[in-house]
Amino acid sequence: MRAAMNREVVVTGFAVRTGFGEGAEATRHGVFGGRSALAPVTRFDTAPFRASVAATDGTPGPGSLRDALSKCAGDAVAAAGHPAGEDTAVLVGTAGDFTGVTGFWRRAEHTSGSTAGDTVAARQADLVAEHVGARGPRLAFTNACVASAVAIIHACRLIATGRLDSAVCAGGYLVEEENFAKFDSGMAFSRDGVVRPFSAGRSGLLLGDGAAAIVLEAGDTARRRGARPLAAVIGWGMAADAHHVARPHPQARGLASAAGQALRRAGDPDGRWVDYVNAHGTATKTNDPAETAGLRTVFGSRADAVPVSSTKGATGHLLEAAGAVEFVITMMAMLDGVLPPTAGYTAPDPDCDLDVVPNQPRRADVWRALTVNAAFGGANTALLLERR
Amino acid sequence: MTGPGTRLRVLASALATPHDTADAPVLTGFIESEFNPLVHRAAWQCLTGRALDGARTAVVLASLFGDTTTADLASRQLVAGRVHNAILFMQATANAILGHISTQFALTGPLLALSTPDPVEELVATAELLLDDGEIDHVLLVGAELAAGERTIAASAELGVTPPAEDLAVAHLVTRDSGQPETGPPHTEVPATASGEGLRRLLDPAEVNGRAHPARPFPGAHR
Repeated sequence: MRAAMNREVVVTGFAVRTGFGEGAEATRHGVFGGRSALAPVTRFDTAPFRASVAATDGTPGPGSLRDALSKCAGDAVAAAGHPAGEDTAVLVGTAGDFTGVTGFWRRAEHTSGSTAGDTVAARQADLVAEHVGARGPRLAFTNACVASAVAIIHACRLIATGRLDSAVCAGGYLVEEENFAKFDSGMAFSRDGVVRPFSAGRSGLLLGDGAAAIVLEAGDTARRRGARPLAAVIGWGMAADAHHVARPHPQARGLASAAGQALRRAGDPDGRWVDYVNAHGTATKTNDPAETAGLRTVFGSRADAVPVSSTKGATGHLLEAAGAVEFVITMMAMLDGVLPPTAGYTAPDPDCDLDVVPNQPRRADVWRALTVNAAFGGANTALLLERR
Repeated sequence: MTGPGTRLRVLASALATPHDTADAPVLTGFIESEFNPLVHRAAWQCLTGRALDGARTAVVLASLFGDTTTADLASRQLVAGRVHNAILFMQATANAILGHISTQFALTGPLLALSTPDPVEELVATAELLLDDGEIDHVLLVGAELAAGERTIAASAELGVTPPAEDLAVAHLVTRDSGQPETGPPHTEVPATASGEGLRRLLDPAEVNGRAHPARPFPGAHR
């Protein structure tokens, strides 16, 4: 017998950190102000690499991922009114702390601040759970750029089916040498130190610090304890491109399918009631036109009327944290009534011809918003939020 | 994770080791590490010859430590000053092999990669959860670990778990247990010859048919 998947899932608390700093106000000032946190990296020597820029918070070292995740999770749980307990799940999007890998092979664990154990993704979920006092299931999702979106979707499924009443979902990535070297090797980085999503002249992504946590609860139990839901997650979807290991499907088949699932779940298959889309928008040559085509498939004749922005021009690419941080940014757009702009945009690209909210924030009454992510290997996610 | 949901039926099972003789195609584009070839071979054995609706099939890969060979090789090269290796970039995430499998078998359902010390519980629980969704009919579950190297041994000691003893991938193709007779190729039993604490129970399809339990904290000290 299948369990019904119809319990309301609501957000009751969140916390966020980006290259602009800790807290919603720093994100509001930076991301919603159309600014960019991209700057020359100082926390390690970039001389061996082609690129030298990332959206870090300016600290000399990234700090430990465990501290960043735990701080966000603790703040989110406090904002939600401390619902974490025996049955609260902790689901974290992370690949583990790579500074511990580098430190181990440099025989310098004591200076990196992270241990060999911290390199294990599951350990990060364990530490977050201990920090917030959650005694339910704990899991780490390692799906690269959709990892924390997958964590959120997993929590939605657990709550919607009645398996659990609450979950703390988080995602974290802090810029470090290991992934910087890999993306540099893969020629994925912007050549001019600017990230220009959906824009002519874009040449790639740059990395950024990111961590976010959200508290998801069943609507009935949240209200019973007197919590005020900030938003509801009314749809979610996951789908694969089945196209290529490293390149997105040119029509973003998987992303469109994931978004379609989310919209069908919400009873709005054509997306008629979607007021804003937070795009994946990496500013690579291949992603942005594919994503444009995919969103045109989703919204059909209404595509030109739906504002779509990528916040990676402001924050950089947050890898495993992207889904969680962009979920928070999407929710802030709903709560503040302001669309975060696509920072770094310079000129139109006919293959990316959506309303991309270039550079300047825009006032808007956002009732429903969609956030989408895509990852290496053709994994795609979509989450549909509704203001409460 | 326990729940009210679906019980599972195992349709196919496979074990892949560096020494098995499975007749799977060579995996090109993945180098140095056994992780991706083992995952691919186990998946290939479960999926070949099955008429699945790709849009209604999910793939879930669980590994506590992941592809430690690739991660450690890339790191050691970085530390030695050899920072450029595009192939290691490509295969650095489990998404790469999941994407390869999804492309090879035209699977367009969800792709998940988990890190957990309890692969049996979490894979079973995740399959049940996905199958509760009316849009999924089949889930390929894969558990994989590589024999512990120096860093994994240090991490295992810190976490209080036994380090993996060998390179190993185990896969099961599961669906809802509807009580109806099975169709398609017969179920393949997995030879119970491999060791490795985390994956041993995954070798037994009866374990996969059992109920899931919530993931537990690591036995190591919480600091």
